[in-house]
Amino acid sequence: MLEGMYAAAAGMTAQQQQIDAIGNDLANADTTGYKAERVGFRDLLYNQINQAGTTSTAGAGAAAETIGANQTQGSIQRTGDPLDLAIEGPGYFTVKRSDGSTALTRDGAFEVDAQGKLTTSEGDLVQPPITLPKGVSPSEVAIGPDGTVKDGAGRTLGKISLVEVASPDHLLGAGGSLLTTSAASGAPRPVANAKIQQGALEGSNVDSATEMVKMISTQRSYQLESSAIQTENQMLQIANQLRS
Amino acid sequence: MDLGLFIAASGMVAEQTRQDQLSNDLANASTPGYKPDATPQRSFGEMLLRNSTNGQAIGTMSTGVALGKTYTDMAPAGMQSTNEPLDFGIVGAGFFAVQTPQGTRYTRDGQFTTSAQGQLVTAAGQNVLSQSGAPIKVEADGTVPASALGVFNVPGAVKQGENLFAGNATTGAAPGTLGTVREGVLEESGVNPTTAMVEMVGSLRTFQSGQQAIQAIDQTLQAAATQVGSMNGSS
Repeated sequence: MLEGMYAAAAGMTAQQQQIDAIGNDLANADTTGYKAERVGFRDLLYNQINQAGTTSTAGAGAAAETIGANQTQGSIQRTGDPLDLAIEGPGYFTVKRSDGSTALTRDGAFEVDAQGKLTTSEGDLVQPPITLPKGVSPSEVAIGPDGTVKDGAGRTLGKISLVEVASPDHLLGAGGSLLTTSAASGAPRPVANAKIQQGALEGSNVDSATEMVKMISTQRSYQLESSAIQTENQMLQIANQLRS
Repeated sequence: MDLGLFIAASGMVAEQTRQDQLSNDLANASTPGYKPDATPQRSFGEMLLRNSTNGQAIGTMSTGVALGKTYTDMAPAGMQSTNEPLDFGIVGAGFFAVQTPQGTRYTRDGQFTTSAQGQLVTAAGQNVLSQSGAPIKVEADGTVPASALGVFNVPGAVKQGENLFAGNATTGAAPGTLGTVREGVLEESGVNPTTAMVEMVGSLRTFQSGQQAIQAIDQTLQAAATQVGSMNGSS
């Protein structure tokens, strides 16, 4: 009897994880370069119930966890800002954080700092470092699809290189639209078939309509499992009152 | 009289198991590729009744409820479009094969991802196998063609948990009986919440009837123990 209650409780916890992921996705529906979370559900191990020689089984419920991110391309929105870059295809920009470690990001809303170095909106330096010499204003800068940065006179100032990893699902979020690699994601390597578009930003790939539908379905599943717990409770009550 | 108590109790225990299975089914209403369980109930066995005066057999009486073997309803469920390049669904019968440390297992859940070595794996990191039993490499753009995944026929598959089925694949299935793989879709859970809720209510009421039967027999036993043979006729 109690197995049934715990199974339903496990199911409710799983739906809770789903709602948390949906909430995070909806909050980031406008974040540049954000990728929606992929939540995976699985059933849990089965217990044998042995009765008079026949074996019947009952399961232990469900569990859910985030297994990665939806890697579909977000829509490219033109902004006209010469330092806004969008990636078409797979790949990430590399940035160096203030503590010296490197991170990856899809958010290409870059700026120049006081020394003329190209940085993200949080101040992390773009790697390999690109510096605009004195006298060159951002509006003169031309960045080609392969990442080559040229100033108004056609001189090459550097190249922004894109990297990818073997398993983007296993990149770890570090806040501020930054991602760090892990053992499960693989090491960064150069990417072959991606292009950079200047003057545009990649939007979030969250589809609000799908998220709302998922939210309704999750809520209903949560309610059903709550009914299952109430029914089990009633049965236990009946059993307790057998002799009264 | 004691027999009546045990018959009612066997009914209650059977409903208990059914309730546990229904709870598990509802908990898995969102698990892709999940197949619901059912345990048939059968009559326990019949006892011959005899006329207490002359010993003549008058008929039989069933002695309660026993549970049969749990069976899994393997009917394919509907497909849900996710547009996720590494989500796959099998339209029709058949299973994906995954390599686990305990050997080859099978699954209907096609929610896959890439490993650090660039191979197609399940969320738990187990390699998905092609038709020839080899691991599948993920292309440079992060996709896998649907034809690369193997579909296997596993009659008598048994649920193991973690979305896996244990069983032996048969070779030489008639062409056209196995389903085809489609990418960007996931198979929904096979649980019908409405049916499950209705069965749950039915199960609860059967459980309650068992309780009523036990209480009635209890009262009869009490009367037999206290009133029968008492001298002044009051309890």
